[in-house]
Amino acid sequence: MSGRLKLAASFAICFLASPGIAFAQQQVIGAPPEALNMKLVGTSDLQARSAYQPTIHHQGDRWIAYIGHHGGSDEIPAPLNPQTGKTEPNGTSIVDVTDPSQPRYLRHLPGQEGKYEGGGAQMVRICDGRALPKGDRNAVYMLRTFGGEAHEIWNVADPANPVLITRIAGLKDTHKSWWECDTGIAFLVSGAPDWRTRRMTQVYDLSDPAHPQKIRDFGLPGQEPGSTGAVPTELHGPISTGPSGKRVYFGYGTNKGGILQIVDREKLLNGPKEPTPDNLRSPEIARLTMSPFIGAHTAFPMPGMPIAEFARDKDGKTRDVVMIVNESILNECNEPRQMVWFADVTVEKAPMMISSYTVPEASGTFCERGGRFGAHSSNESMAEVFYKKMAFIAFFNAGVRALDIRDPYHPKEVGYFIPSITAATDKRCVKIDGKDRCKVAIQTNNVETDERGYIYIVDRANTGLHILELTGPARAVAGLP
Amino acid sequence: MRRWPVIVVAAAALGALSGAAAYQHIVPRQGEQQGELKGSWQEIAWSFPRDGWPAGRAFRCRGASCSDGIEVYVRPKIGFCNCDRGVADDDEVDRVADLDLLSERFTPIQAGDVITVADMPGRSRAYDLTMTGGTRHTAIGVAVSRRCDLLVAVAHGKADAMRVRREALALLGENEMTRWVMAAMEGR
Repeated sequence: MSGRLKLAASFAICFLASPGIAFAQQQVIGAPPEALNMKLVGTSDLQARSAYQPTIHHQGDRWIAYIGHHGGSDEIPAPLNPQTGKTEPNGTSIVDVTDPSQPRYLRHLPGQEGKYEGGGAQMVRICDGRALPKGDRNAVYMLRTFGGEAHEIWNVADPANPVLITRIAGLKDTHKSWWECDTGIAFLVSGAPDWRTRRMTQVYDLSDPAHPQKIRDFGLPGQEPGSTGAVPTELHGPISTGPSGKRVYFGYGTNKGGILQIVDREKLLNGPKEPTPDNLRSPEIARLTMSPFIGAHTAFPMPGMPIAEFARDKDGKTRDVVMIVNESILNECNEPRQMVWFADVTVEKAPMMISSYTVPEASGTFCERGGRFGAHSSNESMAEVFYKKMAFIAFFNAGVRALDIRDPYHPKEVGYFIPSITAATDKRCVKIDGKDRCKVAIQTNNVETDERGYIYIVDRANTGLHILELTGPARAVAGLP
Repeated sequence: MRRWPVIVVAAAALGALSGAAAYQHIVPRQGEQQGELKGSWQEIAWSFPRDGWPAGRAFRCRGASCSDGIEVYVRPKIGFCNCDRGVADDDEVDRVADLDLLSERFTPIQAGDVITVADMPGRSRAYDLTMTGGTRHTAIGVAVSRRCDLLVAVAHGKADAMRVRREALALLGENEMTRWVMAAMEGR
C-alpha cells in the first residue's frame, strides 16, 4: 500500500471508529464500578424499586435504613415483593444495615398506587418517641408521604412490623418534608387543595404523633388562595435549624426559577397565621433569587463555619453558609446544567453566592451515557462525622461525589463512586426524530450518611442501595482513622 | 496507484451529501418559518428577554378579524408538567402559561375550558391583564401537555375574550403550527 493510501485508510478507520470512542464510557452490565477514594461496602437491590430519600436511624443496637420510593414504571407498575410473593406498589423499604456489608431487607411497606412521581412514598423522616416532647417513649416514629395524597406516621419500633398511627390526607401533592425531633415541629411539603401552587408548606406540631396539630399554611405571596397574578415557583423542601438556630431555609424550584428563602422560625410558628400576603411576608428575613436556569432541591444550612483563609481577619472569620443543590430533570443534558452552589448568608439581608461545583462533563462523557446528568440532592445529616467538613452530592449518571467543603469558598472534589449497572437498571430515553432512543445508566438520586461514617446512595433507575465508605485522602478530610 | 483519488472524491461526495442533508434538516424550508399562515397572521420577533426557557415563536394578527390586533406567543416547556395529571386545573394555567411575560398583574375572568392543541389535552383560561402604564388588555392563557412536557401560549389584545380566544386557538390549530409544535415538543 502506498503512503497516500495508508493515510486515507487511517482517516477512514478514525472516521468509522469515532462513534465507538464517543460511546466507550456507556455503562455495561458486568463492568466494575468507577471510583476514587470511595469503596463499596454492601448492597441491597431494594426489590428493584426506584428510590428517593434514604434516612438512616440508630435504633437501639441496630442501624436501620428507611428508604422512600417513587411509583413504579410503565413496564412494571408494581414490582414483586419476594418476601410476600405478591406485586406491591412502591412504598418504603426498611433495611437493617447494622452490618453494612450484609444489609438485611426487613420489610416493604407499600405506598400509593401510581407510576413515577404519581405514586409511591418518596419521603421519609424518623424520630424516636423518647426525643419527641409528647411521644410514646417506646415508639420510633416514621413520617412518610403516601404518594401525593397524604402524610402518614407509623410506629416502626419493630421495623419489620410497622403500625400505622395517623394520616394527614386530602392533599394534591407532597414532597421533601422536615421534622424536628426535639420539638416535634414538622414542615410538611404539601399541596393544600385551595392553594395556587402544587407544593407549599403546612406547619404541624407532631410532638404527639397520634394527635397532629396544624399550626399554619405557608408559602410565597401569590401562591395563597384567592390571590391573582403571577404565581411564584413552587416549594421543593425546607430544612430547619430548630429552636437553637432559629431559622428555616426553604428551597423553591426544581431545575428552574430557584429561590432560597431565609425564614425566622419563631415568627413563622407564632406570627399571624391567616395566609394573607402580609402574613406570608412577615417571617421572611431574606430571599436569594437564583438564575431562572436553576432550581433549589436542597437548601442545607451550615452556620458558623470557620474559614481558614479568613483566620487572621479581624471580622468575618466564621461564615454562615447554605449549600444549594439544583435538580436535573431532563435526560442527556437537554437543560442548563444543574449543580451545587454555596451561598454566604452571614449578613442575612444580603445573601450572596460565593462558589459552585459541578462534575466536569468531559471526565466521563456524561451527556452521552444516558439518563440524567447533573445534581439532585445532598446528604442532610448534621452528624458531626461529616458536618461542615464533607458533603456528598447525588449526581445521577455521575454517581455520588464527595466534596471537601471545609473552605466553602473553594469546594473541592475528593472522591466519587459510580455504581455498576445491573439487569434491574431501567432504561432512560430521549426522542430522536420522533422515536425513543434509550440507554441504560446509573441514576444516583439521593444520598445520606450515618454517624459511623457510612454513605448510602440509592438509584432512581431501580439499581438499589449501595453502602460506601471513604478511603485514602478523602477519609483524612473527614478526620476518620 | 489511482485508488486514492477515487477514495478522496468519494469521501468528498459523501461529505457534501451528508452536509446537504443536515442543512435540509436544520434550516426551515421557505414558508415554514414565515408565511403560509391563514388570515392576517404574521410572524414577529420574540420580544422578551431571556428567562428560564428558550424563546418561542410570536405572531401578530391585524385586520378586521382581529379587531385592533392580537398577539400570540407560543413555546414548549420541556419537563415542566406533572407527568401523570397533565394540566389538571386552572391554577396550572395561571402558573405556566407565560402571562407573566406580558404583565405580573392578571386576574382570571372566569373558569377555564378543556382544549386540545396538536392532539395534546389541556386548558385555556381568559384573563384581564393590566399592562405597564395601566392599559387593560384581554389575555388568553393556553397550556397543553404530553407526558412531562408542556406547550404554552399566551394571546392578548383589546378585543373581547371570546374573540381573542377564538383567533388564538385557530392559529394554534393551523396545519403549519401543528407541524412546528410537534417538532418543537421533540426538541427538533
